[in-house]
Parts: sequence; structure tokens; C-alpha cells
Amino acid sequence: MSADDEVGFEPAPDSEACAYTDYARGDAPEEYPKTGEGATGAEREIWDALYEVEDPEMPVSVVDLGLIYGVRVEDAAAAGADGKRAVVEMTLTYTGCPAREMLLNDVRCAAMTAGDVDDADVRLRYSPPWNVNMVTERGRERLRDFGLSV
Amino acid sequence: MTSTLGPDDLGDRERGAVEELLFRLADDEFVAAERYTEWQIYAPSLESDLALANIAQDELGHARLWYDLLQEFGYAEPDLVWERDPAEWTHSTLVELPFEEGDWADVIVRSYLYDTAEHLRLEALVGTSYAPIADRVGKAIAEENYHREHAQSWLERLAGDPGSESHERVQAALDRLFPHALTLFEPGPREDDVVDLGFRTETLDDLRTEWFEIAIPYLESLDLDVPDPEETALPEPVGRDGTHTDAWFELYEEFTHTYEDLGRPEPIRLRGEGA
Repeated sequence: MSADDEVGFEPAPDSEACAYTDYARGDAPEEYPKTGEGATGAEREIWDALYEVEDPEMPVSVVDLGLIYGVRVEDAAAAGADGKRAVVEMTLTYTGCPAREMLLNDVRCAAMTAGDVDDADVRLRYSPPWNVNMVTERGRERLRDFGLSV
Repeated sequence: MTSTLGPDDLGDRERGAVEELLFRLADDEFVAAERYTEWQIYAPSLESDLALANIAQDELGHARLWYDLLQEFGYAEPDLVWERDPAEWTHSTLVELPFEEGDWADVIVRSYLYDTAEHLRLEALVGTSYAPIADRVGKAIAEENYHREHAQSWLERLAGDPGSESHERVQAALDRLFPHALTLFEPGPREDDVVDLGFRTETLDDLRTEWFEIAIPYLESLDLDVPDPEETALPEPVGRDGTHTDAWFELYEEFTHTYEDLGRPEPIRLRGEGA
């Protein structure tokens, strides 16, 4: 009999089993999630495009998941180029995210669909660390429809 | 300390120290994960298989956190991993050792020793003067807690019955791994700069002392004999200076095999530019 078998079928009342699937922990830091509220011009267009980028594992946009930390459009002259450059700052739900390259690429392509934008940079940030309370209310509804308990 | 320094603010001395710090962090995590994945489908139960796979995935994620920051200095991924001379890797020998065949006690003891040290090391980076590290370290710390709980939960089951075979196996793994764990705290050539410039807020000596204060009483509480650190010689290759056991060079050959032999120098792009 393995050690695992010794765990009874009914968890003890004080059991901490499945503590790691408790997605309710954590607070949303001030000013998060960023939703693009009040953005105008090319930045507005980028936020709208980002609402179309979905997490590859769940039918919810990267904005509603709370992954986008900032969008700005600046003159690319500083980087020695012409035209306008978009800079999108975002995070990942966890560092080992296997969809990292796909998400970064999708976000970059979305940013480049804005009319005035000639190039886009996507930068990963890990502060504040993402937690589920950074998901928007609409994101929660989508996740609940998808069958997740949030 | 205020985190004000970014990659463009560093002189040669600062950059050398940050690089040394990042390579040690990244290499430890990458190689530890590479070994853990050898247990895939072989761990003693489905749950333990998934748990260890998950830990390996975390460690690969953390390796990437730190390799990413090295890329800001101009290195490309092949320079850091696939084409880097294996004699330049600076991970501890603890993480490169092969497992004794089927010895689950080894991976559990190794993980306990490593993750306890890892936690202390990351905590000593929270107040780093290098802003890109400060941005990332909190996320890594939050993801590491589970690793120690996993190791301790298994240690307590495996070592819970002194005189049993499993207790003896844990003891044997501890005897074998402990000298290698000490190499975690061996300094690199720029260690003084790392601390003097505020990139890490504690010395390796202090981290080792804290590690002893946590690990030794805990292991003794499980009726294990912990080798006396004063009387434990470091292994001949210490890892931190690029010297490694033969097992490392074999492992390197193995995980670069696909890159070398199958002509896939770049990851396949699924969509977007270059697809």
C-alpha cells in the first residue's frame, strides 16, 4: 500500500487538500485590472484589438483576464525608427506558462492593427504578481460559463 | 534599497556582477528541472508524477525569468542554453547529479535541500538594487512555496519510520547529496561585487548559516543523521566555477541533441511573422 492510499476518501474537516486550486486568494492591487477605460485614439484601438485576443486555454480575453498592465503609443524616433511605436506591458498568470510565445505574438499583432502604429513592443512584467482577483467582472462571468468556479 | 538600476545604467563592474548572479540562478533552475523531468511516467504514483512535473515546469519558468534578463544584455537564447559551452555553466553540482535508479528518496531529499536554499536566496533578492530582478522575484517566491511543502510532506512519510527501508534510503540520499548541496553557497569570482553593489542583500555565508539553521534541525527531527558541515569536504568539482561531474556533460549532450542533430536551430512558429 502506498502512502497515498492512507488518505481516507473523506477529507478531514481541517484538510488542506487542494489548497492550490483555491483561486479565490489574493487581492487586486489598486488600479488593476487595467481595462483601457478612458483611452483615446490609437491607444483606444489597441485596447479594442486586445479584447479580441483570447487566452488559448479559456474563452476569455487577455484584457478581461487582467493580464494587460499598460498600453501606450509613442514616437519611434527614440528607437531610431520612423512613425509610431506601441508599447504593451503585460504579465502571465504564472512564469511557466507554455502559451507565452503565442500570447506575446498575438498581443503584438493586435497592437500593430491600430491605424497609426508601425511597430509594437510587448514587455513582460511580473509586478504586481497576477492573481485571480485581477480578472474583470465580465471575465469572471465568462470563466463561470466555461465551468470554472471563480 | 531603492531599485533604480536597469540594464542601461550598468558599468562593466555592475554588469559583470549582475550577470554572475543571473547565470547562477538560471542555470540552477534549468538543470534542476532537466533532472526532474526524468521522473515523468516513473514517479511512484500518478499524483506524485504530476506534482513533480509541475515543479519542473515552475523551475523552467523561473530559469526563463532570469535568462530573459540576460537577453537584455544582448545574449540570444542559443548563447545562453543551446550553444553555450557546458564548462561555462555555473549551477551547483547538486542539481546535475543523476538519480540512483528508481530512488525516489533522492529526488525528495534533493528538492528539500535545494528549495530551502532557493527560498532564502530569493528572499535576499527582494531588496535588490537591480529593478528588473526586483520586478520578477516576488512572482518566483510565490510559486516556490509549494515545492518545499511537497518535499517536506514526502520526507515526513518516507522517513517517518526509523529502521525502515525508506528511512534508510532517505539517509543514504542525504549522505550522498549533502556535500553537493554545500556547493550552492560557493562564491563566484564577483561575489563581493554582488553584495557590495546591493544586487543581493545577504552574503552567501549568511545564507548558508540560515540554511543550516532551518535544514539541520528539521532533518534531525526525522531521526536523520545530518553530516557535520565542519567535517564535510566539498566535492571535487563545485559547479559554480564551471567544473562539473561527468554526469553534467552527458546531460548537456542529451538535452542539446535535438538542437544539434535535427537541424532545428529555431523553435517552430505557429502563427504570426515568420510562420
